[in-house]
Amino acid sequence: MMTEKELKRMESLEARIKEIAEEEGLHTTDIMFEVVPARRMIEAMAYHFPTNFSHWTFGRDYDRTRTIYDHTGTGIPYEVVWNFETPRAFLVASNPFTLNVLTIAHVYGHVDHFLRNRYFQHGRSFADIAEEARYTAKRFREYENKYGSESVEKIIDAALTIQWQQHPDPFHEEVDTEQARAYLMQKEKEKIRALQSAGISAKETHEKIAAAEERLRALRDKLPPEPVFDLLKFAIDHAPKLRNWERDVLRRIRNQARALAPHRRVKMLAEGWATYWHEIIMRRLFDEGLLTPEEHGVYLDFHAKVTRENKRDLNVYCVGPMIFKYVKHRWDKGRLGKSYDECTDPRKKERWDIGAGKGTEKIFEVSEYYTDRMSIEEFFTDEFIHGMKLYIYEAMRDQATGDIVYRVIERRAKVIRRMLLNGYALYNMPVISVRDGNFADQGEWYLRHHYQGSELEVRNRDGALGGLHYIWRRKVHLETVIDDKPKLVSFDGEDFSTDE
Amino acid sequence: MPIVIPDVVAERGKADAKRHRDKQREVIKKRLPEIISEESIITRKGKGKTVRVPIKGINIPIFRHGSNKKRIGGIGQGDGKSGDVIGRRSAQGSGRGKKGAGNEPGVDYIETEIEMEELVEMMIEDLGLPRLKEKDVREIVVEMGYRIRGTQRTGPQVLLKKRETAREGIKRFWQILRGLERETGKDELMCYRALKQVGGIAPEARDLLDNDAVTRDDKEVIPFPILESDDFRYHKIERDTDLHSRAVVFALMDVSYSMDTDKKYFARSMLYWLTEFLRKLYEHVEVRFIVHHTTARLVEEEDFFATGESGGTICASAYELVDNLIETEYPTSSWNVYVWHSSDGDDYDPEASSAMLRRLFARSINMFGFCEIQPGTKSHDGISGLFQSFRSAFGLTEAKEDDLNVHISDDKSFPFLGVVLRGKEDIHPAIKAFLKQDRWAEE
Repeated sequence: MMTEKELKRMESLEARIKEIAEEEGLHTTDIMFEVVPARRMIEAMAYHFPTNFSHWTFGRDYDRTRTIYDHTGTGIPYEVVWNFETPRAFLVASNPFTLNVLTIAHVYGHVDHFLRNRYFQHGRSFADIAEEARYTAKRFREYENKYGSESVEKIIDAALTIQWQQHPDPFHEEVDTEQARAYLMQKEKEKIRALQSAGISAKETHEKIAAAEERLRALRDKLPPEPVFDLLKFAIDHAPKLRNWERDVLRRIRNQARALAPHRRVKMLAEGWATYWHEIIMRRLFDEGLLTPEEHGVYLDFHAKVTRENKRDLNVYCVGPMIFKYVKHRWDKGRLGKSYDECTDPRKKERWDIGAGKGTEKIFEVSEYYTDRMSIEEFFTDEFIHGMKLYIYEAMRDQATGDIVYRVIERRAKVIRRMLLNGYALYNMPVISVRDGNFADQGEWYLRHHYQGSELEVRNRDGALGGLHYIWRRKVHLETVIDDKPKLVSFDGEDFSTDE
Repeated sequence: MPIVIPDVVAERGKADAKRHRDKQREVIKKRLPEIISEESIITRKGKGKTVRVPIKGINIPIFRHGSNKKRIGGIGQGDGKSGDVIGRRSAQGSGRGKKGAGNEPGVDYIETEIEMEELVEMMIEDLGLPRLKEKDVREIVVEMGYRIRGTQRTGPQVLLKKRETAREGIKRFWQILRGLERETGKDELMCYRALKQVGGIAPEARDLLDNDAVTRDDKEVIPFPILESDDFRYHKIERDTDLHSRAVVFALMDVSYSMDTDKKYFARSMLYWLTEFLRKLYEHVEVRFIVHHTTARLVEEEDFFATGESGGTICASAYELVDNLIETEYPTSSWNVYVWHSSDGDDYDPEASSAMLRRLFARSINMFGFCEIQPGTKSHDGISGLFQSFRSAFGLTEAKEDDLNVHISDDKSFPFLGVVLRGKEDIHPAIKAFLKQDRWAEE
């Protein structure tokens, strides 16, 4: 537990960390730090917000982390910070003092990124999401009392199924359905007019006009007039049988997902940036004598644990800060551009330093504009991939013992880079759009998977179709690709069917 | 900004975590038919209280890439060249059955420990069984000695309940005091002095008051108990008895040559679960193992499943042995008797078997279960000759319950249950059929 004296010292350290951050060129603002019990931190992590609605998935995550923490003492929760107007962060009362200082330094790194990065700025642009989450918790409780927790859970389950199915461009501006229709019809009309004014009634022109007129007719009733990617939005506006409170549940979950979605594109860079800066800030605190050598030792120990290589995953606390270090190093020494790339003398390359000094400028640019994918494209060079000792591994069943064995299967940078790019292409979310809200004139829901080389995992696909059916309450269809062939998977609430 | 220590907010995670665990239970329930036929549970050594059940993690399904056919893996970091092993997950203790459920790499499996008792409880729930009715269970009276229970107005001095008696006495005091006030018109304190002076005897107090002969000068009313014979309270003691329920299962198995290991596994599974259930229903359950071919004999459990003998089969011999045991050791007046016969249907003399079985029914046993084991056959392959003869002897009719043909008699005096097990998947519905024991409950 934190004593009054410790709290005072913590406050003065926090003030100094803020000054250091500003001296280093970081954006800062007032941050609300709260000292809480460990379980409160674990809860906040599981629920995404300081207060949020009740759901078993949050309970599951809470249970999992807490069990590990309680029984093994590992997995100390130490960092949670929210991208709010006034950023909010938790410190755990029972954590070592030094760890909390580290957390404060780390949080200042995050907050700079919140203020600087365009994805985080965008995530903050959807109203006061913290307040909304608190209100949502209250509303959902009322719905539970009124309509029973089971029906509330069902609609939440269904909403969570498709919450990340948003427009692939997070900055996409919503378009009103009727405006879109009017625009598309206008375009067809212009096409017809242009064809007509071309005069000569060649057979071809006739056919073109007829086709355009046919499209124009279809556009009149077509819903949506153009493909819609925001599935929850479409359901809220057009699901035929939802009750008002259910629509409200969808709306609130969509709001949360929309505010959180931009963050998903900058996960690795966000942790990288925060870790990069906590290292610098902690070193300065130690140099200024504000931390004892003993405390510094505790810090180094913990820092080493957090940034450790992971044999079966990409640890963003390890690789993330290395991206910034690598970029700073290269841009400072001018190791880029034509003459560097074309240099074939390894010894010369090794010593390359034209005193460019552009490192700091470049890393701030990366922090401001880049997504994880962009940074992989640009900075995951052969040199970096080998330096980070990345590999691809595979899990296999050992026939003799029945054990699962993990093996390195690939070390080539080219292959690793391709795999990473595939994974980060759309942050692993398949692109799915609504094509028709009145399919077969039966009010059925018709969606399409925009196949880009990866098929959908079957169990999840069918489960998600179940969620879609629960929302639409009529037959749902999904155009997709199975075994390299186009297929239509349909679900009527009871059975699945697959057609050519 | 100051660092604040906010008020502790109520823990929300717990309730939602419980909801998740309930959902896990639902998942286990769905897998029950599979789980109960797992060899590792049935043959488990040491009979610990818990079993480990592998189940899939519960997640919200979302559209995601990835085909199950492709290789499972990912990106990692560290030393090692192509082909080097970087980790290993042991298959030990995962309780996997022959089908290896829960061990495909990459599938998010977690192992949940569950108490045997809870598993049985879940099956009862899952099978939609009614709570057992008392009347279905025969009970016996056991003398437990004496016990104190309640209060009575007479008894020996040693059993006097002092506090309650005193309370009655005080009640009586106030009653008398009010009476005196009413009858004499004197105030409370004066009446009290009189009553005190004569030691609580009401008529004498009245005399004193009437004659103004009260000499005491107490300044306040201090109630004291006045006891009349009615006011004494004694402990009541009675003979203590308790009702106990007990059951005996006669496990019968044909060990003639035609019963192979596979068939015995089915017999064992059924018997295991039936006994587990009966243990829940009755405080005391005994299982007697009888093997037979042309003759029958009692054996120990280990021998029951291990025995294999050549020769033909006469089921009547086993029924006769059961009949003798009921007569001598397990009278149906105080024992609930279950007879469970596992056989592949071979019998030299079905007529004799039916006749012998009739005698068992006459003793009003709780149930006779006939479990014909024909692994690998199909339902259109029909039933054995023995089964056929039971059908006609006891007027059995056939009904489909959960894809299993169950043969029962409309005649309540024949609590016969017949099933044919053709595959592992039949075990679950067979148990269910067995447990629907209200089938023969009085209307």
